Amino acid sequence: MPGEKSRTHGGALLVSELRVLFRRRRTWAMLAALASIPVLMAVVVRLSAEPPGPGEGPPFLDQVTNNGMFVAVTALVLTTPLFLPLTVAVVSGDAIAGEASLGTLRYLLVAPAGRVRLLVVKYASAVAFCLAASGTVLLTGWAIGAALFGTGEATLLSGDTIGVGDAVVRSLLVGAHVTICMLGLAAVGLFISTLTDAGVGAMAAVAVLTIVAQVLGQLDQLAWLHPWLFTHHWLAFADLLREPIVWTSFMQNALLQAAYVAFFGALAYGRFSTKDVLS
Amino acid sequence: MARTWSRWLPAAVVPLVIAGSVAFAAQAGAEDLPERSPGDVLALLADRGHQPFSGEFEQTSDVGLPQLPGGVEVPGGDGDAAAVTSALEALTSDHTGRVFVGEEHQARLQVFDTFGERDVIVNGSDVWVYESAENAAAHTTLPADAGDHATTGEQLTPDAIADRVVEAAVPTTELSVREDVEVAGRAAYDLVLTPRTDATLVGEVAIAVDGETGQPLQVTVTARGEQAPAFRVAYTLLDLTAPDADLFAFTPPAGADVEEVSPPAEALQGDETRSPDHEPTVIGTGWESVAIIEAGERALADQPLLTQLTSAVDGGRLLSTDLVNVLIADDGRVLVGAVPLERLQAAAGSE
Repeated sequence: MPGEKSRTHGGALLVSELRVLFRRRRTWAMLAALASIPVLMAVVVRLSAEPPGPGEGPPFLDQVTNNGMFVAVTALVLTTPLFLPLTVAVVSGDAIAGEASLGTLRYLLVAPAGRVRLLVVKYASAVAFCLAASGTVLLTGWAIGAALFGTGEATLLSGDTIGVGDAVVRSLLVGAHVTICMLGLAAVGLFISTLTDAGVGAMAAVAVLTIVAQVLGQLDQLAWLHPWLFTHHWLAFADLLREPIVWTSFMQNALLQAAYVAFFGALAYGRFSTKDVLS
Repeated sequence: MARTWSRWLPAAVVPLVIAGSVAFAAQAGAEDLPERSPGDVLALLADRGHQPFSGEFEQTSDVGLPQLPGGVEVPGGDGDAAAVTSALEALTSDHTGRVFVGEEHQARLQVFDTFGERDVIVNGSDVWVYESAENAAAHTTLPADAGDHATTGEQLTPDAIADRVVEAAVPTTELSVREDVEVAGRAAYDLVLTPRTDATLVGEVAIAVDGETGQPLQVTVTARGEQAPAFRVAYTLLDLTAPDADLFAFTPPAGADVEEVSPPAEALQGDETRSPDHEPTVIGTGWESVAIIEAGERALADQPLLTQLTSAVDGGRLLSTDLVNVLIADDGRVLVGAVPLERLQAAAGSE
């Protein structure tokens, strides 16, 4: 059965793609850079003579000394606007353009893997990276926080106190929110990656887009546009730290990111399936 | 290459599907409510029983002033100046939040900031105020006879605002009912209050009254001659089941600054906090009323922030918005009213 055969090819392609991604030194360097942020932050707070007071420094920093798990949350607040999307831009922007500039795209398409399947596999591996990236920040944050400050009761934004188990659940939800936030960006990156043969150009374009979207999100004159920007809900995970949890922004964000994935996925399909692959 | 265009078809269809579903969700029609006269709707509003619920609300203001960031520290400002800026903040910026109402005298208001929250929790005679940005809590025990004050925590919500508007305005107002509206997924009557006088800046106030429960779901205030509301507060989600009772049992978190506040009822009034000798005097009635506050602090007009927002007029400095005019008179009094400047000046002169 040709269909069955091609399905196994798709699976094999994904496995080999993930293997390539997570064997690259670049991927590990980016994950290590992300992991260094919670570590740096926790060590600095630990070594400083006075613990940060309420309202000082980035959000939740004053919570860090009560409960090490807030290191993970504060690190996500710090990485979500720039560092995290930067790494996602590198992976997704390079997905097709990188193969094209290396001259390997031709060979990937010679195999019975069709263009659509290659696109899907490339996106799936970008999603795997999003998960790995936010997971790295979260897990390193937990580990270093628990090691330096211990775990204890945590205070939510509403002033209610939660136990360790609940804190784990909440920070997992925050991690899930941040991962979902990156999915739309990865789809935009994949589309841009099909436009060019220069990998670096695609990465830079995606990174610039992230900044532009966030700047537009700051302009009151464009208030009508804000709910449609893929960066709109990026920092809305504060809503997951209220009591009870506000699900509105989490769900709205999931819908918005799904719309971005659908639209830019369709654009990437249109572009990639009609593209002349010369290299 | 003839089929090339079809590869772009999904990219054309996806935005259409998204636009279609957004439009569909926006106009998912309200079911029809039976016709009611304005008086009936007003009765529905006034006679509503105690209804436990939880709701999310949003408040937007566009009164023709620049938005002030929350928590602006006025240099050297305290007492009255701080009260004025916090009132300005409430007036000019947008808020979202939630309100939970449990059994009688159980309520919790949460006003959201990006990475913070302000909570007011009322549980029987216990009132807690918590501010996450400062990690500070304040507790008050209400005197037994202060039952009414238990609702002060809900000042920003459609409920509280609707009640105050109706109480103040009905005698001098023309009532009508517009086409039904849908708020938070519920069909509601749109009760419109139009001032009978021209001597006010308010064009109309519309209150969306839930067709089933009589609960106010939305309040909009439109300035005279404007189309879009200058002020709007509305529920975006409403759940008519009783919230978890644990929500009303507040214990301040470890490490919070806890302050015990003595019970005078005025201390709970937030923006309206005045020491007794600063009690505002009100001239006029209904829409034309002007509140005069003896600020007693001449430096008020010299605050740099207020100087920037106000302009010099006869007899003082004017802070002008689409809905409210504030005259800081040269003698230190502050006159506030939803009225034209001339009326404020006249009121300042008549005292």
